[in-house]
Amino acid sequence: MRNGEGGNRFVIPALILLSFVTIYPIIYVFYLSIHRKLLIFDISRFVGFENYLFLLKDDRFWNALKNTAYFTGVSVSLELLFGLYIALLLNMSFRLKGLIRAIVLIPWAIPTVVSARMWEWIYNTDFGILNYIVGTKINWLGSPFWAMNAAVFMDVWKTTPFVAILLMAGLQVIPRELYQAARVDGAGNWATFRRITLPLLKPVILVVLIFRTLDAFRVFDAIYVLTGGGPANTTETLSIYAYKVLFQTLQFGYGSTLSVIVFLCIGCISIFYIRILSRGMNRRSRSK
Amino acid sequence: MVFKHGKIAGDPEPFKKLLKKFEEENPGIKVKDEILPASTDEQHQFYVINLEGKSPDFDVLSMDVIWVPEFARAGWLKDLSLILSKNEQKEFFLGPMLAVTFKDKIYAIPWYIDAGVLYYRKDLLQKYGFSPPKTWQELVDIAQYITSRESGLYGFIWQGKQYEGLVCNVLEYFWSNGGDVLRDEISVIKSPENVDALHFMRDLIVKYKITPPLVTTAIEEPTRHIFGNGKALFMRNWPYAWNIFEKESSAIKGKVGVFPLPSFPNKESASTLGGWQLGINRYSKHPDAAEKLIKFFTSPEAQKTLALTIGYKPTRKSLYKDKDLLMKQPFIIGLYDVFMKARPRPVSPYYIMITQVIQPEFSAAISGIKTPEEALNSAHKQIEHILRVER
Repeated sequence: MRNGEGGNRFVIPALILLSFVTIYPIIYVFYLSIHRKLLIFDISRFVGFENYLFLLKDDRFWNALKNTAYFTGVSVSLELLFGLYIALLLNMSFRLKGLIRAIVLIPWAIPTVVSARMWEWIYNTDFGILNYIVGTKINWLGSPFWAMNAAVFMDVWKTTPFVAILLMAGLQVIPRELYQAARVDGAGNWATFRRITLPLLKPVILVVLIFRTLDAFRVFDAIYVLTGGGPANTTETLSIYAYKVLFQTLQFGYGSTLSVIVFLCIGCISIFYIRILSRGMNRRSRSK
Repeated sequence: MVFKHGKIAGDPEPFKKLLKKFEEENPGIKVKDEILPASTDEQHQFYVINLEGKSPDFDVLSMDVIWVPEFARAGWLKDLSLILSKNEQKEFFLGPMLAVTFKDKIYAIPWYIDAGVLYYRKDLLQKYGFSPPKTWQELVDIAQYITSRESGLYGFIWQGKQYEGLVCNVLEYFWSNGGDVLRDEISVIKSPENVDALHFMRDLIVKYKITPPLVTTAIEEPTRHIFGNGKALFMRNWPYAWNIFEKESSAIKGKVGVFPLPSFPNKESASTLGGWQLGINRYSKHPDAAEKLIKFFTSPEAQKTLALTIGYKPTRKSLYKDKDLLMKQPFIIGLYDVFMKARPRPVSPYYIMITQVIQPEFSAAISGIKTPEEALNSAHKQIEHILRVER
């Protein structure tokens, strides 16, 4: 205990539990992904990397990957932008602050499936309120261009509050003295924001980005309920494709291959962010 | 013994009474009926998982028309060829019999039947002196003529969202032009007949403009609402909508007519077959009792009761001459010709995989993302890949 190594003993039970619920399934999914396994036909045989080779030629996979990347990129950037703006507003002092903060959180509090159903009606060509307000007859979920952006918009509406609340927490720990000092030095609003708020908020922004990017990359329920992947797979994401292959057609081999790819993508994204985050931390601790 | 089935449409009471009657007639057999979620995808998932696990927890199961070959191929269903003699098979409609037959053996008995039909506004057609269309071109002409004279009216609506219903719709155009998807387990999907048919569907939206673009996201209920509000002249849908249109509160009560779907010139009209079949779990511990239950529920008496009470359409042809039914449910009797011509979707154990790849291709073609040729070529390649899966 004195030399700090004894701590390992206390971590072992947790590690064993974790390996049961995470490491074992990961290995098993990889094992399935190098087999051709079709429940209905009672086929189960080793095929090596055949599934992965097929995946490289599978247009539907590349289409799903493209859709997922677009959805993640656009929705996460918009959420960060709007979230930061709302956080800055909510961080000012005004009357009914508590109430407004609570109201802002409502979209986040609604279960995803419920809000997706709600948006499906909002986007309805004939009865939808969106076309009524805008005065158009656009087929939001039926046109390839609008369908994906409609899904992005729904996600932005739903998760911006979450981003805003996290960023607001970050804003509140920035010492007031810094702002006072800046004002004494004659710094304007923009300069204070760029030189003080942004740098000190950076770690929180990174955490928000990790959460949101990983969530958006795995998006399933929102889009599945909203469009089912249509029209013509223009909104089909990797998770939806994997679900359809795994659970609707029961091709456990190829479905697992898709899952492994999603897992690898998520892994790369996490490593990328964690490196940025730890580099930032190291620099700060060194400068102290 | 356990009877698994989807939700009973409407009032479940008549169904419960039938079960009680069965128990009285067969002392010693107790039936527990268990209801699955309404979504057919979830029901399919439930059965596949449990049957793959050789679960004996249920004895009788109700199956969508497209599942029987798949389940039979997997060896999950008891062969019922012996309880349905060759003569008795002839009493049923041909479509559902084809759907329950796999490699010359029968694995389920048709319980009730469904098929695509054309709904039309009787009052409007009369007003302008038209009779219901027999060919697709007639439908286009009538719709163009009337919609240019009536405001706020769509010409023709159907179901075009990327889902199983889209496949049902598209097949009706393929078949009514002499095309098909599989022939002798080989893909014939990129035939010129199919290309023409798919072109025509796209043209309904962009060239003839009688179909609004909203159909590319529509499933049954939204189209039923639009037609029910009096905002469409023609609609393709299943027979269930009829009872709703004839309710007292309906805006179009008494103004609706039903007709078989049109066809292309000199070809046969065809409807996609739907409906449910009863089969026996091969791992059942009470196969004899299960057999009795299936016989009871597919008997003329039980089918008649269900038709009179909840409007399930009988699978036995003789019932369409029944006097009581003729009096109380003349609509059902009128569907006889449609059911005679109803065709099952490709009868293949691979169907579930095939529909997964053709849905997006059809969706791409009708929403203009791909040309019909491109979509069908791509579908053809993918179907061939699926058919090779066992090799």
